[in-house]
Amino acid sequence: MKKIVTLTIDGATTRAPKGTTVLDAAIEYGICIPHLCHIPNMTDIGACRLCIVENIVDGRSRITTSCTLDVQEGMVIRTNTERIRHLRRNIAELLVAQAPNSRAVQDMAVRCGVKEVRYPFRNDDCILCGRCVRICSDMWQARAIGFVGRGAERRVGFPFGDRPAYCKECNSCVDTCPMTIVPCEGSMKPGEAHLCGGCESQLSMASGAQEAMCVMCRLGEGFKCSRYGWQ
Amino acid sequence: MSALTLEPILKGRRSQPHMLIETLLDVQESNGYVSTEDMKIISRELGVPEIEVYRAANFYKALSLKPRGKNVITICAGTACHVRGSNLLSSQIHGLLGIGPGETTADGLFTLEQVNCLGACALGPVVVLNGEYHDHVTPAKLKALILKAGGQEKQAPGKKRTPVKASARKEAAACANGKKRHSSGKALKS
Repeated sequence: MKKIVTLTIDGATTRAPKGTTVLDAAIEYGICIPHLCHIPNMTDIGACRLCIVENIVDGRSRITTSCTLDVQEGMVIRTNTERIRHLRRNIAELLVAQAPNSRAVQDMAVRCGVKEVRYPFRNDDCILCGRCVRICSDMWQARAIGFVGRGAERRVGFPFGDRPAYCKECNSCVDTCPMTIVPCEGSMKPGEAHLCGGCESQLSMASGAQEAMCVMCRLGEGFKCSRYGWQ
Repeated sequence: MSALTLEPILKGRRSQPHMLIETLLDVQESNGYVSTEDMKIISRELGVPEIEVYRAANFYKALSLKPRGKNVITICAGTACHVRGSNLLSSQIHGLLGIGPGETTADGLFTLEQVNCLGACALGPVVVLNGEYHDHVTPAKLKALILKAGGQEKQAPGKKRTPVKASARKEAAACANGKKRHSSGKALKS
């Protein structure tokens, strides 16, 4: 029988089986922590850093990604403090600057309270979230793609540069990639790049909602947000 | 290389994924580089997915995926060495041999590599030639090193400045002599 631990997330007492992550526990209780690289039932690598939470230990708060933090008895987690919101907004801004032509990333950024992006747009079309890599290795056991290179040259690639014969061509990597969900309609030309209003209207549907409130974004459905995955 | 020639390296390491780095390093040492075929054999024999082998080989500077020259020149490009002019040494090599970082001369004699720190910052700029460390390298010292390593057979490709070379050799010899004299003088004093 699974051991159940009790922890406090945002003041709410929650119970979760041992071994689950704080992110999963929070989502099950309807506390939406923004996340991008997390796919339900896959290993988490904490790549996008959006799901950061404050883990209060002995009166001191530590900032950790909740997708890689396992639940423990008596844990105190805060997901929506001023400090977290500030950091999260900054991270989301950097993600948008890295890959501005993605609706998923922009939606998530708006959800994190980004109004404008202060960083120069890089237009890389990849935020190295590792969703494709993990779906290939965890779900399909193919391991046909992976991270190659290091530092600034890190990228997703095939072994030895060519598509291997054992790639099942299932296209799961394409399906889960946040870049392939309905590209943004707004202008992402250099110089006139801005977050498009289409994404913002998503948030404005729930007008008056504070930032960092789950708005059941359609985005989540698109790239299998665990909120939808649990249903 | 075939599986047969890799046999001594793979012996005792089969089906042990944790031996990946050691195996790659041994292949690197015996061949000078790690070829795609080698990586495929290692992947099969050690039971490591191909992508993991490729990733590891790609990650470490100690492993080269391209054939390297007979002499490997490694220039430190760390902060201390950079401040002391290691980039000048790089451009000097580019002038002498016509190669940039990561490239090999057409005759396969020299390969230039750049590393981020060799851990000898007080001795900068540091240049490693075939595993031998040289400290406080000046352009003259570097020239002498290259000429020595290349020997008579070395003729810089696409460059025909033999008189300069000859004078440089003399210069280098003089420099070396001077150092010798200096050091012997020191020895006498002490």
